[in-house]
Amino acid sequence: MNRSIQNLLSITLVLLLSCTPSFAQRGGGSARTSVNRGNVNRNANVNSNRNVNANINKNYNANVNRNVNVNVQHDVDVHGGYYGGGCCYHPVATAAAVTATAMVTAAVIGSMVNTLPPSCTVVMVNGLTYQQCGSTWYQPQFVGTSTTYVVVAAPR
Amino acid sequence: MHKRWFCFILTMGSSLSLAAQSTPAPMNADRDPDAIAALNKMGSYLRTLGAFQVQSTQTKDDVLENGQAIQSAGVVDVLAVRPNRLRAEITSDDKHQLLFYDGKNFTIFGQLVNYYATVPAPSTIGELIDKLDQKYGIEMPLVDLFIWSTPQSDAEKQITSAIDVGPSSVDGTSCEQYAFRQEGLDWQIWIQLGDYPLPRKLILTTTTDDARPRFSQVLRWNLAPSFNDAAFTFDPPDGARKITIAEVTASYQGEPKTGSSK
Repeated sequence: MNRSIQNLLSITLVLLLSCTPSFAQRGGGSARTSVNRGNVNRNANVNSNRNVNANINKNYNANVNRNVNVNVQHDVDVHGGYYGGGCCYHPVATAAAVTATAMVTAAVIGSMVNTLPPSCTVVMVNGLTYQQCGSTWYQPQFVGTSTTYVVVAAPR
Repeated sequence: MHKRWFCFILTMGSSLSLAAQSTPAPMNADRDPDAIAALNKMGSYLRTLGAFQVQSTQTKDDVLENGQAIQSAGVVDVLAVRPNRLRAEITSDDKHQLLFYDGKNFTIFGQLVNYYATVPAPSTIGELIDKLDQKYGIEMPLVDLFIWSTPQSDAEKQITSAIDVGPSSVDGTSCEQYAFRQEGLDWQIWIQLGDYPLPRKLILTTTTDDARPRFSQVLRWNLAPSFNDAAFTFDPPDGARKITIAEVTASYQGEPKTGSSK
């Protein structure tokens, strides 16, 4: 119980410190990158991820974050070196981290995250690559040219 | 001559365009035929290039929800051999990707994540552009260079204003600067003067967003690239893992497609 509360506080703190300010700013557009192709942003909800390059408008499912405090007990030690890889120095990338943090708790099948939680294991099932992170399974895929992880049902 | 006309437009500003709306003006009065012709000449020339390598140094704005534009930078290096081979390397602050097309397969490889995906590809670069766009939501890097003045381009007929701004230098090379407007987009192009009418610089300003986000690129060309066939076929490095490419038709919220890239 104490542990849970601790985690709750830690996660809340992480969100407050590193993520919340920029999260509120998500969702604008991007500059068009070609003259000859009229409507390159038509896949607005399909592409993802500033993590990999630009396209802020294409990313985030804000609803995901609502669950952050609900299932916190699943999140043992989430804050411990969570972004230790130094991936998220950029304010935009930080928002991706928010999404990922939330997804650890929510793990809605079919939802997408841009970064994985720590301590995942690569598992090959039927020739496809999965990342198993605790009880949650992610399938990496390219969405546009960005790498995204889709939460899937356990493939085995 | 062109300079003076441009200044005239600048000074007259909106009153001129108001006048143009209220009086019967000739069709396309704002389209300088010389500027359109320069575009077409460039497009025709690009189509004559059998093989080329071009490096694009880019910046691109994304707009935060509060309207603030944030710039990111990158370099795209493309080696293309018509009709059916292409290799592209995309490097930016947080991305390092390679694209391979050998006339049979298209592979995207994310070097930082060490993932790749391979899908069957059509038999020409032009068809590949459409397939990537329509099926996978991927815009071919430097797509403009491949489709200018082709039926795949919808640029020319959309241009509502075309101006020859005048001489301007890019990387020390003499160019002519042109400015165009079309719905939702203002853009400028610097076309090299002389026997090689290559695009050397492009600036696109998206006008549908209040922040007017910009995409800019400077292009450096090599019209006699050296390469071998292996450059266009992906050879997975150790530890690289095969994944899928999401199809555009797959719903963002929906179940992932697990077999989309066989």
